[in-house]
Amino acid sequence: MPENESIKRLLAAIAFANDQSAYKELFILLHGRLKQFAYSILKSHEESEELVSDLFIKVWQKKDQLTTIESPLLYFYTSAKNMAYNRLSKQKRQVNSSPEEWLVQLNSVYFDPEQLMMTEEMMRQIRQAINTLPPRCRIIFKLVKEDGLKYKEVAELLQLSIKTVEAQMAIALRRLGKCMELEINQLNINTQATKKS
Amino acid sequence: MSQEQFWVLFSKKLTGEASAEELALLETLIQAHPEWQYAIQNLEDLWKTKAATDPITGEDAYMLHLHRMTEMQISFDDITGRSGNSVGKEKRSRRWYWVAASAVLLAGLLAFSSFYLFNRKTEEVAQHVNEISTRPGSKSKVQLPDGSVVWLNAGSKLTYTKDFGKETRDVTLIGEGFFDVTKNPGKPFIISAANIKIKVLGTAFNVKAYPEDKQTETSLIRGSIEVTIRNRPNDKIILSPSEKLVVENSEAKVEQVDKSADKTTGNIKRTELPVISTLVAINKLKYNPADSTVAEVQWVNNKLVFRDESFSEVAVRMERWYDVQIAIEDPGISDVRLTGVFESETIIQALEALKESIAFQYEKAGNRIIIHR
Repeated sequence: MPENESIKRLLAAIAFANDQSAYKELFILLHGRLKQFAYSILKSHEESEELVSDLFIKVWQKKDQLTTIESPLLYFYTSAKNMAYNRLSKQKRQVNSSPEEWLVQLNSVYFDPEQLMMTEEMMRQIRQAINTLPPRCRIIFKLVKEDGLKYKEVAELLQLSIKTVEAQMAIALRRLGKCMELEINQLNINTQATKKS
Repeated sequence: MSQEQFWVLFSKKLTGEASAEELALLETLIQAHPEWQYAIQNLEDLWKTKAATDPITGEDAYMLHLHRMTEMQISFDDITGRSGNSVGKEKRSRRWYWVAASAVLLAGLLAFSSFYLFNRKTEEVAQHVNEISTRPGSKSKVQLPDGSVVWLNAGSKLTYTKDFGKETRDVTLIGEGFFDVTKNPGKPFIISAANIKIKVLGTAFNVKAYPEDKQTETSLIRGSIEVTIRNRPNDKIILSPSEKLVVENSEAKVEQVDKSADKTTGNIKRTELPVISTLVAINKLKYNPADSTVAEVQWVNNKLVFRDESFSEVAVRMERWYDVQIAIEDPGISDVRLTGVFESETIIQALEALKESIAFQYEKAGNRIIIHR
């Protein structure tokens, strides 16, 4: 089931049935991601933890209004972003309005080699490729791959066009493909010259 | 299509953003390039791999969150009370559960009836054995009822019974086939070919099992397969991508295992093979450095590729490819090693090309070709 649908169900259970276990489930489902996202802007673990807690207090208080949201995931990320910016401006700290200045941690580099059938050298190259993605590419890759946002949601959250998101994802995947010696140079299937013995 | 467009399409596929047309376009491209399969499978696996999340952290954070709520004097009940009419709320919630419960029931009914109808249909229709065969000199692409695709090389036969897809997906192969099997862990795909049985877990690979050949070869491009050898049903060999399993058809004949190939593969997982090790070899598939293709599956692309094979072996493959019979009358030339590709050449053009590497003469009468010095 798409994640937005699961979240909608939980929000409905919270709103219509005061379901506290659904509330807890939702918190645990989103806490880690939202905290990391907030951290990329606030650059403080303590404040990010607080921000997520504040956000979930708001969820309970406004639960009746949250059942009609088209994309709850986008709602959570947009709220987290706005709350983080508010915190920064209240503290008279500089607001990094550009996502390119965010401090984005990627978890994708910590994968279990046992699950994948690749060589150690390939793993090393993949880690390096992920770690050296350009800033904008990095945040988009994280939001799509790790946080499960759709292209449209990422575009809206970061105020970019969908085409930009598409292009940045293509860059990320091409770099990973390179680690596996996949270079798509020859796309016309029938033009390859015949070699003779 | 440009390189950029390929990567845009491929990333859209991974992320579930691609439209049906885009998926079809990409699929055509990928199927035309079996040599990409390994990298593509790796990228797909990598994409699905999630970093391990620590549930304890979430639980702890939730405890802290509840604590904070208490400190701020926000309680779950207070808010419910504040928002007013709790009786109305209760009714509403019950209605919600009622709707949910009927939805579940409906879904169950639908699932049951479609299951029932589906089973009836397959029983009525498929009372016979399906057989797809190709003559020498021709190839064929087959889609099986489960969506899996099989390319059949020349002079091959694929059969499956009415029970295909019921509990397992069983097929029998004589000759050579390239399999791209759809994933369905509940219904294993099992291929019986010559002296081996292959259990598939969703994958792409090539099986070469012509009765007249000395060896049965299984080349894995992506995914993973489990092979058992006839007479030794308890020995299971799990192949990893880019590995080729070679099994001698004549059990009396003993061939030395190529140990050097094993050193390059750090991730072979298989059980001990005490007795059969003399009959079985696992080799690494060789990618052509120029275009990263694998010789074993190039026939799917209408190419007859041979790399360092003896003239007599090449002749056998040319017999199937061109539907001819070739007799090499001079034993002195049958062991010459050859490397090359035939794509659109006729049999005459192919023979002329070979003459540049080996000095020989030939006579052709109908489908028979005699080669001598």
